[in-house]
Amino acid sequence: MTLTKLMTTSAAVAFMALGTAGLAENVVTMNTVQIFGTIDPAKISDYTDYMAAVNLYDGLISVDSSGNLIPELAESWVVSPDAKEVTFKIRDDAKFTDGTPVEASDVIYSIERLLKINLGPANLFADVLTPGSVTAVDAKTVKFTLAKTFAPFLTTVPAIFILNADAVKPNEGTDDAQGWLATNVAGAGAYSLKSWDRGAEMTITRNPDYYKGFLEGPIDTVHWIITSDEATVKSLAASGELMMTSQFQSPETYKALVDMGRFQMVSQDTGTAFYLKLNTKVAPTDDIHIRRALALATDYATIREVIFPGGVLSTPLPKAFADFHNGDIPEPKFDLEAAKAEIAQSKYAGAPIPITLGYVAGTGFEEEISLLMQSNLEQLGFVVTQAADPWNRITEIAGKVETTPAVNQIFFGPTYPSPDSMFFTQYHSKAAGTWASMEWVNDPEIDGMIDAARATGDTAEQAKIYKTLQAKLVEMQPDVFLLTQTVQHAMDKCLTGFKAVPMQSFDYDFTRYQWTCK
Amino acid sequence: MTDAPLTNAYQNWFRFSRNPTAMIGLVIVVICVMAAILAPHITPFPDHVGAVTNFRARHLPPSSINWFGTDNVGRDIFTRVIFGLRISLLLAVVVLGIAIPVGTILGMAAGYFGGWTEIVIMRVTDIALAIPPLVMALAVAAVLSPDLLHSMLAIASLWWTWHTRMIYSITRQLRTQEFIEAAETLGASKFHILFREILPNCVSAIAVKTSLDCGFVILVGAALSFLGLGIQPPTPDLGTMVAQGASFLPDYWWESVLPGLAILFLALGFNLLGDGLRDLFDVEDVR
Amino acid sequence: MEFLSFLIKRVLWSVLVLVGLSMVIFVIARVVPGDPARMALGPRATPEQVAQLQTELGLDRPIVAQYGRFIEGLTRGDLGRSLLTERPVNDDIRETFAATFELVLCTMVLAMGIGVPLGMIAAYWKDQWPDTAVRFFAIFAAVTPSFFLALLLQILAGYVLHLLPTTGRLPNSMEFEASTTGLLLIDSVIAGRWDVLGEALRHLLLPAIALAAATMGQMARLTRASMIDVSRQDYIEAARAFGIPEWLRVTKYMLRPSFVPPLTIMGLEFASLIGGAFVVEMVFAWPGMAAYGIRTILQKDLNAVMGVVMVSGVFFVLVNLAIDVMVGFVDPRVRIRGRR
Repeated sequence: MTLTKLMTTSAAVAFMALGTAGLAENVVTMNTVQIFGTIDPAKISDYTDYMAAVNLYDGLISVDSSGNLIPELAESWVVSPDAKEVTFKIRDDAKFTDGTPVEASDVIYSIERLLKINLGPANLFADVLTPGSVTAVDAKTVKFTLAKTFAPFLTTVPAIFILNADAVKPNEGTDDAQGWLATNVAGAGAYSLKSWDRGAEMTITRNPDYYKGFLEGPIDTVHWIITSDEATVKSLAASGELMMTSQFQSPETYKALVDMGRFQMVSQDTGTAFYLKLNTKVAPTDDIHIRRALALATDYATIREVIFPGGVLSTPLPKAFADFHNGDIPEPKFDLEAAKAEIAQSKYAGAPIPITLGYVAGTGFEEEISLLMQSNLEQLGFVVTQAADPWNRITEIAGKVETTPAVNQIFFGPTYPSPDSMFFTQYHSKAAGTWASMEWVNDPEIDGMIDAARATGDTAEQAKIYKTLQAKLVEMQPDVFLLTQTVQHAMDKCLTGFKAVPMQSFDYDFTRYQWTCK
Repeated sequence: MTDAPLTNAYQNWFRFSRNPTAMIGLVIVVICVMAAILAPHITPFPDHVGAVTNFRARHLPPSSINWFGTDNVGRDIFTRVIFGLRISLLLAVVVLGIAIPVGTILGMAAGYFGGWTEIVIMRVTDIALAIPPLVMALAVAAVLSPDLLHSMLAIASLWWTWHTRMIYSITRQLRTQEFIEAAETLGASKFHILFREILPNCVSAIAVKTSLDCGFVILVGAALSFLGLGIQPPTPDLGTMVAQGASFLPDYWWESVLPGLAILFLALGFNLLGDGLRDLFDVEDVR
Repeated sequence: MEFLSFLIKRVLWSVLVLVGLSMVIFVIARVVPGDPARMALGPRATPEQVAQLQTELGLDRPIVAQYGRFIEGLTRGDLGRSLLTERPVNDDIRETFAATFELVLCTMVLAMGIGVPLGMIAAYWKDQWPDTAVRFFAIFAAVTPSFFLALLLQILAGYVLHLLPTTGRLPNSMEFEASTTGLLLIDSVIAGRWDVLGEALRHLLLPAIALAAATMGQMARLTRASMIDVSRQDYIEAARAFGIPEWLRVTKYMLRPSFVPPLTIMGLEFASLIGGAFVVEMVFAWPGMAAYGIRTILQKDLNAVMGVVMVSGVFFVLVNLAIDVMVGFVDPRVRIRGRR
């Protein structure tokens, strides 16, 4: 009797909840610590840019959490035996947000525009794609002909977002629509841009007609708030407005949010590495012994266990790249005595050694790491200057050898799911002059190995080259290998779907998320 | 007026010491200044001023060992607060060291000479008054690099205006008084009149204003460091400490609340002292 | 007639101050180490682009001509482009200014509305306990850093008591576009959105208190002093002798003249109010001009910073003009004496 009654009641409750669920929107408010630089697919470059782009635009293919390539606009693709031709078949039902179908001509237009502007992801295709490389076989089939063998090519294709050529062309103006696409979106993404205040927030809303459809309990609106301020994050969480934090909050904040009861911690190992990038061309880090001393003076365990969660990083390549990681290299040690011995061998021995430690201003854990480094380095006779700069200032000073500080705390994650991404962008001389290459390695031997790995389609051969390359880089010590990031988010218990993806910020593609509470 | 200076000073001190708020202010100021000077000798962990880290002892609440608790890298907050007083006091000394002489001279010149001198000086003063000091410091920080020295110079470049206005109005009142006219008739030099006749009559007003201003300059300086335009870490600075501790509110409240109270305490001391001096000298015009 | 000439003089004077202010800002903007054109274009610009912009901006012309251009831009409301937002600075400021204006306006209302009555209470019960209490309050309000008070209010009302929201102007979930005046309090009433009005007030309360406290103390102190001053005047004695009831004496004959000094000082206090807004907006994540200013300063976004300084200055001058006119209206002597 009681049981039946209970069941009817709960059924009624469930029904009512379902009724309101149809009306209530699933809004996810998330904080992010950097500003969105641009939403133009030909200009996007950093982690935050991709976070918006991956939701506003679709590419031919995408990447899943294991690094596998998965269909998106293209339903299938064929690679020629010599790996120089790739043919994509576009889905019949693929359509842009304005309802027009996605066709081969749109793909060609997007790539030609990307190559012409030559910013953002264009550097991935330098010497590989040239104007005319991409041709239409028919309206729904597009063929890429590569200028040379480029083994990781397919893994870079998700970085190309497809523009709606008919919508962009009328707005081209004199700058290839750079002005127009800076604030307008013309793509096939699952979300549309609703509002964007570059310094403060961005809101995107779901396109109900999205060709791929949605999971159950889709996220209707995503609202990013740009703040790294822990107090603001806590206050937004306490007032019920925040659903998901950035991955860069302090352990204290995560704990406070979990204590509120509404949040749970989600953490996953990633292929993102955290380095102290040492400028190998300025004093005192131009001396290999000083670089080794810095590596020996780093308290890895305290950093990983107390300041910022992470796993062991022993080479430039995180263990996530299982087939390519060189497991023979021992993990770095914290040993101040050995550090002293290294300094004694350097050309700077015998006098106080001035050194600048750079980090991103306003990032609590980076300041803590910088202080930890300073306290250890001062014991070794270094005279430390702390240089905290905002992120876009760092991207600026990274452009020149002289303005790049001796030591820089930098995160670098794969921009496409291939080890090539980790090596080329950071160590190849062709990629020099960005925040990702503050080491200024500029070494022909290193360049040669990276090029050799690119030129072979044989995975075993690649693995061999990459393992030698890692040994060589560890020997040169252009970085202190701090840790592999364990990404953490405090997320509302109703929100699921976060899975780390080894490509840019594809893990924040909100079509992969669900709101599980009714 | 006819009293010997000594008796006069004694009388003043007697009146002053009967004023409880003034005495409290004086005691606070003396304690803070002494603490700042003797900081290395009276703090329990003087080495925590630098980049000492002890991550096992982070976020410890106030205790008999760490009176004010420890911060996010395990440093003793009490030690850092005492050393932080040094930066605050230094700021006040530098800013007022520039603002008072400049403001006084300009104010006397404008009030005594009148005419174009008066018009130019007072109009420039009004323009400078239209810029909030904090905003000016921020603009300078944007142009140069954000650090303590630039902030000090920016504040000083506007702070003289208040002194100019005050000295100007006092001088204007004095100019028509008999003893100035007498000196003029006797052929005293302009320099003599400004610095020997007028200046001594401004001293009490300046003293009151200086004391009150110390408090305000310290508050503006603390606000600047709170916004991230203060001295670079790891040197302790009260405003910066409040800002950093704010990330850990409310769980580790002591990391921001106690340095904040230190700023309040210091500003309170100078304010009470200034109030007391105002009552003592009976100068009304001073803000 | 005499009021009109006072008004004209006062307006001309304000214009002069603004011209001076523009010079100061121009000089600061030009002593920048580095090339304004390069700074405006950002790190990725090519030398040709820089050269082109230099010609466009007239940076190759004499300094006086450059100043002329700068002024011309100002009169057209053109403050250049922001590096941070990649939009015209005047658009950015127009959007953020409303939030700051609303906050500062409420702060002034709060400071006067509470400060003046407190001063009256203190003066009425001079040297008794209410007087002591008010004086204590005034001193503590003056010496508490506004950012510290803001944090304390946040802890207390936000975390401990869960009474009031601690960030922003409205909850994120609330859809409302303040399109008429930009002021939520007014636009919500126009739109008949009482829920928005309520939320806007709840969000305003803490920042306004944090910002108002120091001025409130100052107002109380001044009102007290000038009430005591006025009460010693002959005509008040006369009114007392004529048996005019006390409440009327206090409110009518004493309040109006004693209102003048606090009002005048309010104008000067306004500079510190704007300064205070910078920190308070940061603590409460208030989407105003001051928060915009801080963000752009940290990014070395020069045009935006200069725009913010200029607008703060203009705001200050206009408020002082308004206050002077009000004072001239309340107290005829001021008109004859000239300004202050």
